[in-house]
Amino acid sequence: MLHGYAASLLDGAWLTFQVAVLSLVLALTLGLAGASAKLSKLRLLRAPAVAYTTIVRGIPDLVMMLLVFYGGQMLINIATDALEWDYVDVNPFVAGVATLGFIFGAYFTETFRGAFLAVPAGQLEAGAAYGMSRWQIFSRILFPQMLRHALPGLGNNWQVMQKSTALVSIIGLSDITWLADQAGRSTHQPFLFYAVVCAFYLAMTALSSVVFNHLERRYSVGVRRSAA
Amino acid sequence: MTQLTVEDLHKRYGDHEVLKGVSLSAEAGDVITIIGSSGSGKSTFLRCINFLEQPDAGRIHVAGEEIRLVRGGDGHLKVADAKQLQRLRTRLAMVFQHFNLWAHMTVIENVMEAPVHVLGLSKAEARERAEAYLDKVGIAKFRDAYPAHMSGGQQQRVAIARALAMEPAVLLFDEPTSALDPELVGEVLKVMRALAEEGRTMVVVTHEMGFAREVSSQVVFLHQGLAEEVGAPAAVFDQPRSERLRQFLSGSLK
Amino acid sequence: MIEWSVITDSLPQYASGLWLTAQLTVLSLAAGLMMAIPLSVMRISRKRLVAGPVWAFTYFFRGTPMLVQLLLIYYGLGQFEWIQGQWQADNTFWLIFREPYGCALVTFTLNTCAYTTEILAGALRTTPHGEIEAAQACGMSRVTMLRRILIPGALRRALPAYSNEAIFMLHGTAIASTVTLMDLTGAARNAYSQHFAPFEAFIFAGLLYLTLTFALVGLFRLAERRYLAHLQPRKAIKGPTT
Repeated sequence: MLHGYAASLLDGAWLTFQVAVLSLVLALTLGLAGASAKLSKLRLLRAPAVAYTTIVRGIPDLVMMLLVFYGGQMLINIATDALEWDYVDVNPFVAGVATLGFIFGAYFTETFRGAFLAVPAGQLEAGAAYGMSRWQIFSRILFPQMLRHALPGLGNNWQVMQKSTALVSIIGLSDITWLADQAGRSTHQPFLFYAVVCAFYLAMTALSSVVFNHLERRYSVGVRRSAA
Repeated sequence: MTQLTVEDLHKRYGDHEVLKGVSLSAEAGDVITIIGSSGSGKSTFLRCINFLEQPDAGRIHVAGEEIRLVRGGDGHLKVADAKQLQRLRTRLAMVFQHFNLWAHMTVIENVMEAPVHVLGLSKAEARERAEAYLDKVGIAKFRDAYPAHMSGGQQQRVAIARALAMEPAVLLFDEPTSALDPELVGEVLKVMRALAEEGRTMVVVTHEMGFAREVSSQVVFLHQGLAEEVGAPAAVFDQPRSERLRQFLSGSLK
Repeated sequence: MIEWSVITDSLPQYASGLWLTAQLTVLSLAAGLMMAIPLSVMRISRKRLVAGPVWAFTYFFRGTPMLVQLLLIYYGLGQFEWIQGQWQADNTFWLIFREPYGCALVTFTLNTCAYTTEILAGALRTTPHGEIEAAQACGMSRVTMLRRILIPGALRRALPAYSNEAIFMLHGTAIASTVTLMDLTGAARNAYSQHFAPFEAFIFAGLLYLTLTFALVGLFRLAERRYLAHLQPRKAIKGPTT
């Protein structure tokens, strides 16, 4: 099947999936940190977070990725030279995950910030009035409700992010797009192999929307649906 | 001259028969108010007249012309000629409970819209018309404001000017004051009263009993889909014949 | 520390790259929006035969990476002998698909068209029902209603979401450099490979993109102020209150 490239494409698909999931974990972490910083009373925390989201969301992800990949290589070269170590290559996998996580961390920051702000202040006051500690208010009231408000935005960002994983092929990671490119060149059937890549992404995004719809239904308990 | 006749109108939603044969006839200058408790079918009746709802049976004449109907394959009554309905709808201007102004247009654009794009008036003519009617409803000052920036009473007066600008044969009012704060009801009723005094033909569904008694030439009391009592306001309000109308007027059927 | 010559030497390339990026963005956004208006009307149709194909189109273009779409069109189409035949016959239409510029423009247009169609369809669906009834009640035909009430209202309500789409498109055009086009990113990659100075080359390009982004945001803010005046908090209106 597929002129013997099926197994190779499957490897690429698995790699793409790993890139997507690991970047998601990194982006969620950065997003939560970024949102907390943006909502902080301390300017020292707020200012860098604002700069982070503004700059990252103003620059194409490809440019950012090239900067991290090539720039990172240069920094490592400088460091290894100074320490008189052997030459170390930047791992495109690490560079890809780091860049995607860093970029989407900025988008997740905005999603989480909006979600935190959407929790009515009165409910937090009620928590305080009943003698809850700050941590209890955060973990028992604020966080669970914030998550519900954040879910639709997280779903959207995740859908965009999955598709951005294709960019890692440009910095030489053997993801599904890169492998399809190779297969297309050697078989002279590029259309066929790119079509397979499209099918893979369609399957991944379709599966994601099923999962997110399920999550949204689960987390919307206690919320009245507006009559359609 | 007869402006509007409705004969034996029927309407059902599933098993629930909302209108069980209601008729009405309005001569030029008539003000017919339709009263009744909520659920009596009075709004549905009004909305069937211009086919915002599809009646299941009945005949409707507007300014002497009958709306041609055919029975569709599913057994429901349908308009035979969409163009004819569009034309006759321009003769029946409607004022809605929730105003239904077009949000992205300013006041004057709302009033000019249908005269230009449906009646085919020139912009200049339509503007002249719009300004005159906005003046009449006392809202000329707001001509360049957007509906969302106005009070409900002001919006409803714009909606009345929009209806007047069609220069229709009949004005249909669907509970025009029900969505308004109590203190804003008066300004709208005042405009409607002035229109009645000018001799405009109006069919008004309302809960305002004072208006119905003082302004109408005929009152129709609708109950469970039937015109339970029809007559001059004095007769209907002062000598109600049916027990239900008596209950309704004393407030227990609201 | 900063090697300014990397930037100054490549300034002409950056300038022409900026121009190409602006071109690709503006042309694809304009063409995509034009096509999206009729498609969004079809998308909300109750007839499956009308809405279905539009759904499939937007589903494909929104569900796959734009990079893969570009590669599919640029490298993929050449696989078919029939298309090669058209190229040999100098068929002007199909020659578009041999040039990277044509392929990029077609890909970007179809991609933004798909997203814009869904944005507009969503806005059309949220038209207040009362506005439609008022239009029917004054005798508007379906076409007049679409042209005067539904589409103008939907375009306005879609503006905030559309401004995001426009920025995504500006950033998305960066992949044009993968099919040999010398857009802003292409110029930066070129400058990098000549001097091996990644920070200068890519940060300068990043700053130019940031400027373009801010310009776009500013333009949309102006547009929102003008076209969404009816949704903004009420300004003090002078006049009688009754």
